[in-house]
Amino acid sequence: MNLVVLYLLLVKATLTSFSGLASLPVIRGDFVLRYHMLTDRQLNTAVAAGRIGPGPVGIYVVSIGYLAGGVPGACAGWLAMITPAFLIIPMLRFLGKRAEHRRARAVTRSVLCAGAGLMGSAAIPLARDVIHGPLPLTIVAASFALIAFTRVDSLWVMLGAALVGFAAFQL
Amino acid sequence: MTRPRLSEVARLFLRVGVTVFGGGDPTIAVLQREFYRRDWLTPDQFAIAFGLARLTPGTNVLAFCAASAWYLLGAVGAVTAVLAATIPASVLVVWITEVYELSKRYALATAVVNAVVAAAVGTMIGAAFLLVRTQTSRTRWLRPVVITAGAFLLPFVGLSPLRIILAAALVGFFWVDA
Repeated sequence: MNLVVLYLLLVKATLTSFSGLASLPVIRGDFVLRYHMLTDRQLNTAVAAGRIGPGPVGIYVVSIGYLAGGVPGACAGWLAMITPAFLIIPMLRFLGKRAEHRRARAVTRSVLCAGAGLMGSAAIPLARDVIHGPLPLTIVAASFALIAFTRVDSLWVMLGAALVGFAAFQL
Repeated sequence: MTRPRLSEVARLFLRVGVTVFGGGDPTIAVLQREFYRRDWLTPDQFAIAFGLARLTPGTNVLAFCAASAWYLLGAVGAVTAVLAATIPASVLVVWITEVYELSKRYALATAVVNAVVAAAVGTMIGAAFLLVRTQTSRTRWLRPVVITAGAFLLPFVGLSPLRIILAAALVGFFWVDA
């Protein structure tokens, strides 16, 4: 398939969604049902690859591009994934000095608290997926303590957890 | 606030892009923690980046990367952050797509990824704790606590994050501390 068309199809999906997998119905409609470029099984593989790897879940769009058009397709998918992100810049410019107004600050601080609550609630399904015994629970507690009460670099928290997972598997 | 060099911004976003598993929320949690630790972003700037990222189409965390790095180093910072956070991770996802069937049977990889996701869970709770702590004091705690608790609970009744952010913005608009 033409790379420009591939990019346009993928960017249509990313521009019309507001979170990682919300673009999935549009992608399935175009790639599986309309143009028959992918099968449902390939779509599942792409979603799984996006979830297994690091980074956002929305990165599965790169995998879709790869399955539809090889490495150039993956590049088109990557471009489609990052394009909408830059729409935030004009919004920030518009906000500019207006953000310093007393009421605007109250709004941003409320959004910040909502962000904290959402972060906590997003942790619940992830925790359900991985906490199956005392070891992951200990990792969660230790990570929380290190992040909240020390200034240790979060890289070491992640690498430490990976090492513990590796060691526990070997034992 | 400390103004970082472009290479430092690139290094942080690249590192977070390839080491944080579990999706966008853990990535934002780790970035928030690192901004806090390095004194790079004010809580207000974080809140604006976070809130607007939810209103931006596409993958929210990438909009968050663009916005937070825009505060640090302008447009060059935004482009650098998005590229650094996505290029290595995209290469990895292509590789995973190739070996996916094989990796399903590779239990060691699953054990390591699960441990890293467990650390991401702890990081998210820790980052949420730090966020709320910056907003509360002895005299001003009711609004942050009410909004945080509401935002924590409302996803469980099916309200989308976008609507929760908008509701919090409305509450903030009408409930201004004296």
